[in-house]
Amino acid sequence: MSLLNQTGSVIAMNVRSIPQRLWMSLATVGSIALVVAVLLGFLALANGFNQTLKGSGAPDVAIALRDGSGSELNSVVSREQIDLLGQGPGVRAGPDGRPLISAELVLIVDGIKKSTATKANMPLRGIGPNGLLVRPQAKITQGRMFAPGSNEIVVGAGLLREFSGFELGKTLRFGAQTWKVVGVFEAPGTVFESELWADAPVIQSLFNRGSTFQTARVGLTSPAAMPAFVKYVKDEQRLQLKAQSEQTYFADQAERSGLLIKYFGWPLGIIMAIGALAGALNTMYASVSSRAAEIATLRVIGFSGFSAFIGTMVEALVLSALGALVGVAICAMGFNGLSASTLGAGFTQVAFRLQIGPDIITQAVTLALIIGLIGGIFPGLRASQQRPLLALAT
Amino acid sequence: MSALIQLKNVKKTYKRGKESITIFDGLNLTIEQGDFVAIMGPSGSGKTTLLNLLGGTDRSDSGEINFDGERIDGYNEGQLAGWRARSVGFIFQFYNLMPVLNAAQNVELPLMLTKLSAGKRRANVETALKIVGLWDRAKHRPKELSGGQQQRVAIARAIVSDPKFLLCDEPTGDLDRNTANDILGTLQQLNQEMGKTIVMVTHDPEAARFAKRTLHLDKGVFAEVTQ
Amino acid sequence: MTDFDLVWKNLFRKPLRTILLTVSIFMAFLIFGILTSLNVALDRASESGSASNRLVVSNKINFTQSMPYAYVNRVAAIPGVTAVTYQNWFGAYYQDQRTSRFVGFAVDPETYMAIFRDEARLTDAERQAFLTERTGVIVGKSLADRYGWKVGQTIPISSNIYSQANGRRSWDMKISGIFTGAKPTDPTTAIYFHYDYMNETITFERDQVGTITVVTASPDQNDQVAKAIDANFANSPAETSTVDEKTFSRAFLKQAGDLNFIVTMVVSAAFAAILMIVSTTLVSAMRERTKEIGVMKTLGFSSPRVLRMVLGEAVLLSSLGAVLGLGTSAFILTGLSKSPVGSSFGDLSMSPVVALSGLALAVSLGLVTGAIPALSALRMSIIEALNRG
Ligand SMILES: Nc1ncnc2c1ncn2[C@@H]1O[C@H](COP(=O)(O)OP(=O)(O)O)[C@@H](O)[C@H]1O
Ligand SMILES: [Mg+2]
Repeated sequence: MSLLNQTGSVIAMNVRSIPQRLWMSLATVGSIALVVAVLLGFLALANGFNQTLKGSGAPDVAIALRDGSGSELNSVVSREQIDLLGQGPGVRAGPDGRPLISAELVLIVDGIKKSTATKANMPLRGIGPNGLLVRPQAKITQGRMFAPGSNEIVVGAGLLREFSGFELGKTLRFGAQTWKVVGVFEAPGTVFESELWADAPVIQSLFNRGSTFQTARVGLTSPAAMPAFVKYVKDEQRLQLKAQSEQTYFADQAERSGLLIKYFGWPLGIIMAIGALAGALNTMYASVSSRAAEIATLRVIGFSGFSAFIGTMVEALVLSALGALVGVAICAMGFNGLSASTLGAGFTQVAFRLQIGPDIITQAVTLALIIGLIGGIFPGLRASQQRPLLALAT
Repeated sequence: MSALIQLKNVKKTYKRGKESITIFDGLNLTIEQGDFVAIMGPSGSGKTTLLNLLGGTDRSDSGEINFDGERIDGYNEGQLAGWRARSVGFIFQFYNLMPVLNAAQNVELPLMLTKLSAGKRRANVETALKIVGLWDRAKHRPKELSGGQQQRVAIARAIVSDPKFLLCDEPTGDLDRNTANDILGTLQQLNQEMGKTIVMVTHDPEAARFAKRTLHLDKGVFAEVTQ
Repeated sequence: MTDFDLVWKNLFRKPLRTILLTVSIFMAFLIFGILTSLNVALDRASESGSASNRLVVSNKINFTQSMPYAYVNRVAAIPGVTAVTYQNWFGAYYQDQRTSRFVGFAVDPETYMAIFRDEARLTDAERQAFLTERTGVIVGKSLADRYGWKVGQTIPISSNIYSQANGRRSWDMKISGIFTGAKPTDPTTAIYFHYDYMNETITFERDQVGTITVVTASPDQNDQVAKAIDANFANSPAETSTVDEKTFSRAFLKQAGDLNFIVTMVVSAAFAAILMIVSTTLVSAMRERTKEIGVMKTLGFSSPRVLRMVLGEAVLLSSLGAVLGLGTSAFILTGLSKSPVGSSFGDLSMSPVVALSGLALAVSLGLVTGAIPALSALRMSIIEALNRG
């Protein structure tokens, strides 16, 4: 019999013997599934958050902040600076023929996080007519847009999902003023969905902001125009602002969320994986010792030690692959698309959905297969060293 | 001599599915204090079942089992366990030593059921192992002993708590002639010098010769062959 | 030989198997020890320095919105209020905005130190210096250690919010004192400096205060006083929201995410996994020993005693893994406490409550995983056991 045939039939014997150790094998599958599910849960959490941030930035929109301020909250931009920005190279013209610049300001108001019933920071963003033009993803889906000059608010669908207090039609009080929620907008997969929008001049006057803004979003003619515009802002002494593409701005923020995964998700996944590996090793050693006589008999007949090794190896890999499959299924059905929220870089809540993707599935499955591989190697070596004579002794 | 054990009109059936097989019906047996009885008979004749009834490890359906003037067939599980610990020593065909314990520890096992002090226990273990001639192997694990040696350790275990009554189920069934004779000699010695009452099941007529008398069991009925 | 010796010897019958099981259990308790302690530390951090008779007044819109300075005196006049102080979040950092941010508040030194004298402990000389030096700052011991600051030194503290009229965004501050916490383990990663010094130099938000801390005559009056304060400012441009200190900091911490929930999920998953691994392995391990159990029973060991030994073995196994796991996590936590990130949580070390609940968990894990083999040992009849294998 060729080595290939030998190995093939030993693998078949191994796999067919799994039901003899049904409960231990199921425990191995189950524990690997839980490892995969936990790791995948964290990866999906971070992935969802990252995708939301990355999905928010356009390559042809520049965002200008006060030089040195890390976030919108700490930035100040004046009317004069905004006019100067409009004179930069590559600035697209809006429908009114003037430079497409959305001057915005953000302040934080309280909402109630549904999951914990505690107060949470919501961004209330003042925008002008250009606000929607630099965010083509955003569409009013219920009610209507706020009327300029009025105390009206539109609310993002993501915010509505995670927080209470801003339902359509609701009247709110901020200080002495009352506001009315007149519309709901969707901007799927972006941070904007976690915001409240109102008319910028109204916010400026009701919240004593004078005529200052915090950021300017500048529409450019194309992504290629970005470097020249960024350089213009940097070199223009009167500006004292820093411009960058919206895409870079959000990508930087996404980078920080990687920490959760690096310092939390992976270490936990690996610790659990070692625990599951110990279980897998036990199961595979039990498999080898329960089949000691069988393996020894095969060796007497002339099967090689290698085929015994591969047989054990494949059994371990089959179990871990099953575990990975179950783990991915748990995640896909249990977590994928689940809504969550956390404090983002702007000190306000960002609502997002857990998102499973091919790359993170690959990572989790790889971990499972590594468990199977290591869990198979050592018992496999023991199987391959099984002496032919033992069968006659027992 | 007084009767140590007395079976009166004992009935024993096993249920296998819907069928029930009667092993004994109206079995009577008296074993005197200090007797050494060999029980022979074809396979399946009920020898082991009888030992189980005598040792209180199985229950009869009806009839009386008396030990030293007391009915033990009415004991509950806990009482039976206590009685076995005090009064019966068991020797099995395959020794049944605990693989994780060494010889001395195996012998000490029944003493865990007594209130003896540690020092007294050690002394008893030593005595028992010396009786079977294995004191020098006290620290060996069963795996490191031959079959005959293992059976000697098992005998030491059976006598360490000084029970009156020893039950042996084919104690030499797994041993060669010479070793078997050694073991049987030891049993005989225990009977003659220490007054242990012994019931031994065996297939081997040679082995039966060591006993004071032999009973033949066939289809649940005894035929006595006195030597 | 005792029952324990016997249990111990049986436990290590197949050393590799036992070691592997211990590793599984170890990992689960490592996760339990670390995550639960982090959770406890976070909870405690939200409570540390919060007294039951203190309230926090903030702008009702959100605590990042400020209130007029005049509110301080109006709050002080409300019945039931025995002391007030106020503070502004400064967005403080030292030299590098990305890597060296810390908690920095502009405060009114006299009233602040009267209320928080225990939370920020200073020598009398240091306190006196802080009161008199207009540019004085008191810095926490951890921060002083991290940056090598000394009393008397002048350091530039920058703000990511405010800037000075001259365009500078950093303020030169002279270190009046280095404070320690009420307990040695409390976090001391903050700085406090004069509100007036900041207020006179900033370009916007002048004469505004961030939050006002109120001391009430007694905790039973908290609700009443809080209502009175909020009623006082109702219908004004800056309405207030007054809650006790603990509620205030809890709500703030909850914003990051529901750590409680994540910890519960992960710990449950880890335990579900070892529960499966350990109980199935124990079942198969006990099955190998059926005959031995039959022999023990024949010798006269009672069924309850055998049950106790089997359960004892399972409990011993899980306790072994648990003690190692909890011990290792305590060790890791101690190390983490000393790291810059960990030190901001304050005392990360494992609390007795966590350790004890870990041990309780270990015992229950042992009982659950041992239950099936123990029950089958209890029920097993001697003849059946001896006939097997
Ligand atoms: N636990 C049991 N259940 C059912 N039948 C049994 C059981 N134990 C023994 N028997 C039956 O009882 C009969 C006597 O068995 P046993 O006492 O072991 O015989 P011996 O030891 O003489 O060979 C046999 O037919 C056997 O099949
Ligand atoms: Mg028999």
